[in-house]
Amino acid sequence: MSKMAGLFRPKKLDLSGFTNTRLIRDHNKRIAFEQTEPERQALRYMIRNTSLPGRVRAQAQLQLSQMHAYTRPTQIKNRCVESGTARSVFRDFRINRYQFRMQALAGELPGVKKASW
Amino acid sequence: MFSYQASRSLLGVGKRLQVPVPFRSLSSSTQTPPEQKKTPVADQTPTPTPADPVEASPKQATPAAPFNAAPAATTPAVDTATSTTDIKSSEPRVKEWAERLGAFGEENRLPRSVQAIYLRPLRRKAEHGLPVCDLQLRSYSVRNVEFFADFAIRAAYYLNLPVSGPVPLPRITERWTVPRSNFVHKKSQENFERITLRRLIQIKDGNPQAVQAWLAFLRKHAFYGVGMKANVWETESLDAAKDMDTSLSEVEESLRPHLAQFGQRKDNSAPGTIFDTLNSERFTERKNV
Repeated sequence: MSKMAGLFRPKKLDLSGFTNTRLIRDHNKRIAFEQTEPERQALRYMIRNTSLPGRVRAQAQLQLSQMHAYTRPTQIKNRCVESGTARSVFRDFRINRYQFRMQALAGELPGVKKASW
Repeated sequence: MFSYQASRSLLGVGKRLQVPVPFRSLSSSTQTPPEQKKTPVADQTPTPTPADPVEASPKQATPAAPFNAAPAATTPAVDTATSTTDIKSSEPRVKEWAERLGAFGEENRLPRSVQAIYLRPLRRKAEHGLPVCDLQLRSYSVRNVEFFADFAIRAAYYLNLPVSGPVPLPRITERWTVPRSNFVHKKSQENFERITLRRLIQIKDGNPQAVQAWLAFLRKHAFYGVGMKANVWETESLDAAKDMDTSLSEVEESLRPHLAQFGQRKDNSAPGTIFDTLNSERFTERKNV
Protein backbone atom coordinates (compact mmCIF):
# COMPACT_ATOMS: atom_id res chain seq x y z
CA MET A 1 0.00 0.00 0.00
CA SER A 2 2.63 2.44 1.02
CA LYS A 3 4.41 1.85 -2.25
CA MET A 4 1.26 2.87 -4.08
CA ALA A 5 1.33 6.28 -2.46
CA GLY A 6 4.20 7.15 -4.78
CA LEU A 7 1.74 7.03 -7.67
CA PHE A 8 0.11 10.19 -6.49
CA ARG A 9 3.33 12.03 -5.73
CA PRO A 10 4.33 14.48 -8.43
CA LYS A 11 7.86 14.14 -9.83
CA LYS A 12 8.63 17.71 -8.87
CA LEU A 13 7.43 19.47 -5.74
CA ASP A 14 4.50 21.63 -6.78
CA LEU A 15 4.17 23.49 -3.51
CA SER A 16 5.63 26.81 -2.52
CA GLY A 17 5.95 28.57 0.78
CA PHE A 18 6.19 26.54 3.95
CA THR A 19 6.60 22.82 3.23
CA ASN A 20 6.57 19.88 5.51
CA THR A 21 6.40 16.11 4.97
CA ARG A 22 2.90 16.03 6.34
CA LEU A 23 1.89 19.06 4.36
CA ILE A 24 3.15 17.46 1.14
CA ARG A 25 1.40 14.22 2.00
CA ASP A 26 -1.87 16.04 2.51
CA HIS A 27 -1.36 17.85 -0.75
CA ASN A 28 -0.84 14.54 -2.55
CA LYS A 29 -4.04 13.21 -1.03
CA ARG A 30 -5.93 16.20 -2.33
CA ILE A 31 -4.56 15.63 -5.82
CA ALA A 32 -5.38 11.91 -5.66
CA PHE A 33 -8.94 12.61 -4.58
CA GLU A 34 -9.40 15.19 -7.29
CA GLN A 35 -8.20 12.80 -10.00
CA THR A 36 -10.33 9.83 -8.94
CA GLU A 37 -13.47 11.60 -7.83
CA PRO A 38 -15.61 10.72 -10.91
CA GLU A 39 -14.63 7.09 -10.60
CA ARG A 40 -15.51 7.04 -6.92
CA GLN A 41 -18.84 8.69 -7.55
CA ALA A 42 -19.70 6.25 -10.34
CA LEU A 43 -18.95 3.28 -8.10
CA ARG A 44 -20.94 4.77 -5.24
CA TYR A 45 -23.85 5.29 -7.58
CA MET A 46 -23.71 1.69 -8.72
CA ILE A 47 -23.58 0.40 -5.16
CA ARG A 48 -26.65 2.35 -4.11
CA ASN A 49 -28.69 1.77 -7.27
CA THR A 50 -31.17 -0.99 -6.37
CA SER A 51 -32.27 -1.42 -9.96
CA LEU A 52 -28.90 -2.90 -10.86
CA PRO A 53 -28.22 -6.62 -10.44
CA GLY A 54 -26.68 -7.61 -7.15
CA ARG A 55 -23.60 -9.05 -8.76
CA VAL A 56 -22.76 -5.74 -10.39
CA ARG A 57 -23.31 -3.90 -7.14
CA ALA A 58 -21.13 -6.29 -5.20
CA GLN A 59 -18.39 -5.91 -7.79
CA ALA A 60 -18.62 -2.15 -7.48
CA GLN A 61 -18.37 -2.42 -3.72
CA LEU A 62 -15.23 -4.48 -4.00
CA GLN A 63 -13.72 -2.14 -6.51
CA LEU A 64 -14.42 0.88 -4.33
CA SER A 65 -12.92 -0.74 -1.26
CA GLN A 66 -9.82 -1.66 -3.21
CA MET A 67 -9.13 1.87 -4.30
CA HIS A 68 -6.16 3.52 -2.67
CA ALA A 69 -6.65 5.19 0.68
CA TYR A 70 -5.36 8.49 -0.69
CA THR A 71 -8.38 8.74 -2.97
CA ARG A 72 -10.73 8.98 0.00
CA PRO A 73 -12.01 12.43 0.84
CA THR A 74 -11.88 11.67 4.55
CA GLN A 75 -8.11 11.51 4.34
CA ILE A 76 -7.92 15.20 3.62
CA LYS A 77 -7.21 17.40 6.61
CA ASN A 78 -6.82 21.15 6.61
CA ARG A 79 -3.34 22.17 7.59
CA CYS A 80 -1.81 25.49 8.44
CA VAL A 81 -0.10 26.92 5.38
CA GLU A 82 2.37 28.80 7.56
CA SER A 83 3.46 26.10 9.96
CA GLY A 84 1.92 22.82 8.77
CA THR A 85 0.05 22.25 12.00
CA ALA A 86 -3.18 20.29 11.74
CA ARG A 87 -4.87 21.57 14.88
CA SER A 88 -7.10 24.62 15.23
CA VAL A 89 -6.65 25.84 11.69
CA PHE A 90 -8.98 28.71 10.80
CA ARG A 91 -10.80 28.12 7.57
CA ASP A 92 -11.02 31.85 6.85
CA PHE A 93 -7.28 32.30 6.80
CA ARG A 94 -6.01 28.69 6.46
CA ILE A 95 -3.78 29.48 9.38
CA ASN A 96 -3.16 27.99 12.76
CA ARG A 97 -4.48 29.85 15.79
CA TYR A 98 -0.99 30.77 16.93
CA GLN A 99 0.04 31.99 13.49
CA PHE A 100 -3.23 33.89 13.31
CA ARG A 101 -2.49 35.70 16.54
CA MET A 102 1.04 36.61 15.50
CA GLN A 103 -0.04 37.85 12.10
CA ALA A 104 -3.05 39.73 13.43
CA LEU A 105 -0.90 41.53 15.96
CA ALA A 106 1.60 42.37 13.22
CA GLY A 107 -1.24 43.77 11.11
CA GLU A 108 -0.71 41.35 8.26
CA LEU A 109 -4.33 40.23 8.10
CA PRO A 110 -6.42 42.97 6.49
CA GLY A 111 -9.20 44.25 8.67
CA VAL A 112 -8.39 42.11 11.69
CA LYS A 113 -8.04 44.14 14.87
CA LYS A 114 -7.94 43.56 18.55
CA ALA A 115 -11.51 43.50 19.76
CA SER A 116 -12.99 44.65 23.02
CA TRP A 117 -16.65 45.02 23.73
CA MET B 1 -2.76 86.65 21.35
CA PHE B 2 -1.58 87.11 17.83
CA SER B 3 -1.60 83.43 17.08
CA TYR B 4 -5.07 83.09 18.46
CA GLN B 5 -6.30 85.76 16.09
CA ALA B 6 -4.64 84.10 13.16
CA SER B 7 -6.18 80.76 13.96
CA ARG B 8 -9.59 82.30 14.44
CA SER B 9 -9.43 84.00 11.10
CA LEU B 10 -8.49 80.70 9.49
CA LEU B 11 -11.50 79.06 11.04
CA GLY B 12 -13.74 81.76 9.67
CA VAL B 13 -12.60 81.12 6.12
CA GLY B 14 -15.01 78.33 5.51
CA LYS B 15 -18.02 80.36 6.50
CA ARG B 16 -17.42 83.32 4.30
CA LEU B 17 -16.16 81.56 1.20
CA GLN B 18 -18.52 79.93 -1.19
CA VAL B 19 -15.80 77.69 -2.45
CA PRO B 20 -13.06 76.41 -0.20
CA VAL B 21 -9.80 77.06 -1.97
CA PRO B 22 -6.61 75.19 -1.19
CA PHE B 23 -4.29 77.57 0.59
CA ARG B 24 -1.36 76.80 -1.63
CA SER B 25 -2.87 78.73 -4.50
CA LEU B 26 -2.29 81.94 -2.56
CA SER B 27 1.44 81.68 -2.88
CA SER B 28 1.36 82.40 -6.61
CA SER B 29 1.93 86.11 -6.90
CA THR B 30 -0.10 86.52 -10.09
CA GLN B 31 -3.37 85.89 -8.32
CA THR B 32 -3.03 88.55 -5.65
CA PRO B 33 -6.14 90.62 -5.20
CA PRO B 34 -5.71 94.28 -6.10
CA GLU B 35 -6.44 95.48 -2.58
CA GLN B 36 -3.12 94.08 -1.43
CA LYS B 37 -1.12 96.28 -3.73
CA LYS B 38 -2.48 99.53 -2.34
CA THR B 39 -0.51 101.23 0.38
CA PRO B 40 -2.01 99.89 3.56
CA VAL B 41 -3.59 102.02 6.23
CA ALA B 42 -1.18 102.97 8.95
CA ASP B 43 -1.91 101.55 12.34
CA GLN B 44 -2.99 103.82 15.13
CA THR B 45 -0.16 103.07 17.58
CA PRO B 46 2.35 105.63 16.39
CA THR B 47 5.47 105.05 18.49
CA PRO B 48 7.85 102.32 17.32
CA THR B 49 10.34 101.56 20.07
CA PRO B 50 13.91 102.55 19.30
CA ALA B 51 15.11 99.12 20.34
CA ASP B 52 13.91 97.57 17.03
CA PRO B 53 15.38 99.46 14.11
CA VAL B 54 15.12 96.48 11.82
CA GLU B 55 11.40 96.21 12.25
CA ALA B 56 10.88 99.80 11.30
CA SER B 57 12.73 99.60 8.00
CA PRO B 58 10.19 97.82 5.72
CA LYS B 59 7.67 100.56 6.21
CA GLN B 60 7.28 101.17 2.51
CA ALA B 61 5.63 97.93 1.62
CA THR B 62 6.31 96.17 -1.63
CA PRO B 63 3.46 94.08 -3.03
CA ALA B 64 5.24 90.99 -1.79
CA ALA B 65 5.35 92.23 1.79
CA PRO B 66 2.12 90.68 3.04
CA PHE B 67 3.27 87.29 1.87
CA ASN B 68 6.48 87.60 3.81
CA ALA B 69 4.48 88.51 6.83
CA ALA B 70 2.07 85.64 6.43
CA PRO B 71 4.27 82.86 7.86
CA ALA B 72 5.09 85.08 10.81
CA ALA B 73 1.41 85.46 11.47
CA THR B 74 0.64 81.75 11.27
CA THR B 75 3.54 80.59 13.43
CA PRO B 76 3.01 81.06 17.14
CA ALA B 77 4.73 84.17 18.45
CA VAL B 78 8.14 83.32 19.83
CA ASP B 79 8.98 86.83 21.05
CA THR B 80 7.57 88.52 24.03
CA ALA B 81 4.28 90.33 23.86
CA THR B 82 5.93 93.71 23.50
CA SER B 83 7.86 92.75 20.39
CA THR B 84 4.78 91.38 18.64
CA THR B 85 2.92 94.61 19.21
CA ASP B 86 5.90 96.40 17.73
CA ILE B 87 5.71 94.36 14.56
CA LYS B 88 2.05 95.08 14.29
CA SER B 89 2.54 98.79 14.70
CA SER B 90 5.48 99.14 12.35
CA GLU B 91 4.47 96.84 9.47
CA PRO B 92 1.56 97.44 7.11
CA ARG B 93 -1.63 95.93 8.37
CA VAL B 94 -1.89 92.29 7.35
CA LYS B 95 -5.27 91.32 6.04
CA GLU B 96 -6.95 88.36 7.59
CA TRP B 97 -7.05 85.07 5.80
CA ALA B 98 -10.77 85.14 5.24
CA GLU B 99 -10.62 88.56 3.67
CA ARG B 100 -7.84 87.61 1.33
CA LEU B 101 -9.39 84.36 0.33
CA GLY B 102 -12.73 86.05 -0.18
CA ALA B 103 -11.21 88.54 -2.55
CA PHE B 104 -9.52 85.70 -4.36
CA GLY B 105 -12.74 83.75 -4.61
CA GLU B 106 -14.64 86.68 -6.05
CA GLU B 107 -12.13 87.36 -8.77
CA ASN B 108 -11.11 83.91 -9.89
CA ARG B 109 -13.15 80.81 -9.45
CA LEU B 110 -12.29 77.19 -9.89
CA PRO B 111 -13.80 75.24 -12.78
CA ARG B 112 -17.32 74.09 -12.01
CA SER B 113 -16.34 70.43 -12.13
CA VAL B 114 -13.65 71.06 -9.51
CA GLN B 115 -16.03 73.12 -7.40
CA ALA B 116 -18.48 70.22 -7.43
CA ILE B 117 -15.97 68.07 -5.56
CA TYR B 118 -16.45 70.25 -2.50
CA LEU B 119 -20.22 69.97 -2.69
CA ARG B 120 -22.63 67.12 -2.31
CA PRO B 121 -22.78 64.83 -5.38
CA LEU B 122 -25.33 65.74 -7.98
CA ARG B 123 -28.06 63.26 -8.81
CA ARG B 124 -30.42 62.55 -11.66
CA LYS B 125 -34.08 62.09 -10.93
CA ALA B 126 -35.55 58.65 -11.56
CA GLU B 127 -38.56 58.71 -13.84
CA HIS B 128 -40.10 55.30 -13.17
CA GLY B 129 -38.00 54.07 -10.27
CA LEU B 130 -37.37 50.59 -11.67
CA PRO B 131 -34.22 49.12 -10.16
CA VAL B 132 -31.70 48.13 -12.81
CA CYS B 133 -28.49 47.49 -10.93
CA ASP B 134 -27.55 46.91 -7.31
CA LEU B 135 -23.93 47.61 -6.49
CA GLN B 136 -22.62 46.53 -3.15
CA LEU B 137 -19.34 47.93 -1.88
CA ARG B 138 -17.47 46.22 0.92
CA SER B 139 -14.47 47.28 2.87
CA TYR B 140 -12.88 47.07 6.28
CA SER B 141 -12.37 50.82 6.51
CA VAL B 142 -15.04 53.50 6.56
CA ARG B 143 -12.95 56.03 4.71
CA ASN B 144 -12.35 53.86 1.68
CA VAL B 145 -15.90 52.68 1.27
CA GLU B 146 -17.35 56.16 1.79
CA PHE B 147 -14.95 57.68 -0.68
CA PHE B 148 -15.61 55.09 -3.33
CA ALA B 149 -19.39 55.27 -2.86
CA ASP B 150 -19.15 59.02 -3.43
CA PHE B 151 -17.03 58.45 -6.51
CA ALA B 152 -19.50 55.92 -7.90
CA ILE B 153 -22.41 58.31 -7.43
CA ARG B 154 -20.61 61.14 -9.18
CA ALA B 155 -19.68 58.84 -12.04
CA ALA B 156 -23.31 57.78 -12.35
CA TYR B 157 -24.42 61.39 -12.58
CA TYR B 158 -22.19 62.05 -15.56
CA LEU B 159 -23.45 58.87 -17.23
CA ASN B 160 -27.06 60.06 -16.85
CA LEU B 161 -27.93 57.30 -14.41
CA PRO B 162 -30.38 57.99 -11.58
CA VAL B 163 -28.93 56.70 -8.33
CA SER B 164 -30.29 55.99 -4.90
CA GLY B 165 -27.93 55.47 -2.03
CA PRO B 166 -25.44 54.86 -0.62
CA VAL B 167 -27.47 52.78 1.80
CA PRO B 168 -25.41 51.59 4.75
CA LEU B 169 -26.13 47.88 5.04
CA PRO B 170 -25.63 46.01 8.31
CA ARG B 171 -22.02 45.45 9.21
CA ILE B 172 -20.61 41.94 9.20
CA THR B 173 -18.71 41.33 12.40
CA GLU B 174 -16.48 38.28 12.67
CA ARG B 175 -14.80 37.54 15.97
CA TRP B 176 -12.12 35.10 16.94
CA THR B 177 -10.91 34.23 20.39
CA VAL B 178 -7.42 32.84 20.66
CA PRO B 179 -5.43 31.64 23.67
CA ARG B 180 -2.50 33.92 24.26
CA SER B 181 -0.07 31.07 24.85
CA ASN B 182 -0.01 27.33 25.52
CA PHE B 183 -3.10 25.40 26.33
CA VAL B 184 -2.16 25.45 30.01
CA HIS B 185 -2.89 29.15 30.04
CA LYS B 186 -6.31 28.82 28.47
CA LYS B 187 -7.69 31.36 30.95
CA SER B 188 -5.81 34.17 29.29
CA GLN B 189 -7.24 34.72 25.83
CA GLU B 190 -7.29 37.42 23.25
CA ASN B 191 -10.13 38.62 21.04
CA PHE B 192 -9.82 39.68 17.45
CA GLU B 193 -12.47 40.99 15.15
CA ARG B 194 -12.97 41.95 11.55
CA ILE B 195 -15.82 44.28 10.68
CA THR B 196 -16.91 44.44 7.07
CA LEU B 197 -18.70 47.65 6.14
CA ARG B 198 -21.15 47.58 3.29
CA ARG B 199 -22.78 50.22 1.13
CA LEU B 200 -25.52 49.63 -1.39
CA ILE B 201 -25.89 51.82 -4.45
CA GLN B 202 -28.93 51.26 -6.60
CA ILE B 203 -29.30 52.43 -10.17
CA LYS B 204 -32.85 53.11 -11.27
CA ASP B 205 -34.24 52.92 -14.82
CA GLY B 206 -30.92 53.51 -16.53
CA ASN B 207 -29.87 52.46 -19.97
CA PRO B 208 -28.37 48.94 -19.71
CA GLN B 209 -25.40 49.93 -21.83
CA ALA B 210 -24.76 52.95 -19.62
CA VAL B 211 -24.96 50.70 -16.58
CA GLN B 212 -22.37 48.39 -18.12
CA ALA B 213 -20.17 51.37 -18.90
CA TRP B 214 -20.56 52.60 -15.33
CA LEU B 215 -19.59 49.22 -13.90
CA ALA B 216 -16.62 48.98 -16.25
CA PHE B 217 -15.51 52.46 -15.24
CA LEU B 218 -15.73 51.58 -11.57
CA ARG B 219 -13.77 48.41 -12.15
CA LYS B 220 -11.13 50.32 -14.04
CA HIS B 221 -10.77 52.85 -11.24
CA ALA B 222 -11.19 50.32 -8.45
CA PHE B 223 -10.08 51.68 -5.09
CA TYR B 224 -7.72 49.77 -2.82
CA GLY B 225 -9.37 47.77 -0.08
CA VAL B 226 -12.86 48.10 -1.56
CA GLY B 227 -14.65 45.09 -3.01
CA MET B 228 -17.55 45.36 -5.43
CA LYS B 229 -20.48 43.10 -6.19
CA ALA B 230 -23.16 43.97 -8.71
CA ASN B 231 -26.55 42.49 -9.46
CA VAL B 232 -27.85 43.60 -12.83
CA TRP B 233 -31.45 43.16 -13.96
CA GLU B 234 -32.66 43.40 -17.49
CA THR B 235 -36.18 43.97 -18.66
CA GLU B 236 -37.88 42.25 -21.55
CA SER B 237 -40.96 43.26 -23.51
CA LEU B 238 -44.24 41.46 -22.82
CA ASP B 239 -44.22 39.50 -26.09
CA ALA B 240 -40.99 37.76 -25.20
CA ALA B 241 -42.37 34.44 -26.40
CA LYS B 242 -42.93 35.86 -29.85
CA ASP B 243 -39.36 37.09 -30.00
CA MET B 244 -38.14 33.67 -28.97
CA ASP B 245 -40.17 32.06 -31.75
CA THR B 246 -38.68 34.33 -34.35
CA SER B 247 -35.16 33.70 -33.13
CA LEU B 248 -35.66 29.93 -32.98
CA SER B 249 -34.39 29.29 -36.50
CA GLU B 250 -31.12 31.13 -35.76
CA VAL B 251 -30.63 29.22 -32.52
CA GLU B 252 -31.22 25.91 -34.26
CA GLU B 253 -28.72 26.81 -36.91
CA SER B 254 -26.07 27.67 -34.36
CA LEU B 255 -26.76 24.53 -32.31
CA ARG B 256 -26.65 22.11 -35.26
CA PRO B 257 -22.94 21.28 -35.06
CA HIS B 258 -23.27 20.58 -31.33
CA LEU B 259 -26.43 18.51 -31.61
CA ALA B 260 -24.83 16.45 -34.37
CA GLN B 261 -22.55 14.99 -31.70
CA PHE B 262 -25.48 13.42 -29.86
CA GLY B 263 -26.99 10.03 -30.62
CA GLN B 264 -26.26 6.34 -30.44
CA ARG B 265 -23.20 4.81 -31.94
CA LYS B 266 -24.07 2.57 -34.83
CA ASP B 267 -21.44 -0.04 -34.02
CA ASN B 268 -22.51 -0.22 -30.39
CA SER B 269 -26.17 -1.11 -30.88
CA ALA B 270 -27.24 -4.61 -29.90
CA PRO B 271 -28.73 -6.79 -32.64
CA GLY B 272 -32.03 -7.67 -30.90
CA THR B 273 -34.82 -5.61 -29.39
CA ILE B 274 -34.81 -4.05 -25.93
CA PHE B 275 -36.78 -7.02 -24.56
CA ASP B 276 -33.99 -9.37 -25.52
CA THR B 277 -31.65 -7.43 -23.29
CA LEU B 278 -34.13 -7.20 -20.42
CA ASN B 279 -34.80 -10.92 -20.49
CA SER B 280 -31.14 -11.76 -20.67
CA GLU B 281 -29.34 -13.61 -17.90
CA ARG B 282 -27.75 -10.54 -16.39
CA PHE B 283 -31.01 -8.73 -15.79
CA THR B 284 -32.98 -11.73 -14.58
CA GLU B 285 -30.26 -12.45 -12.08
CA ARG B 286 -31.61 -9.83 -9.71
CA LYS B 287 -34.66 -11.87 -8.85
CA ASN B 288 -32.47 -14.45 -7.21
CA VAL B 289 -30.90 -11.96 -4.82
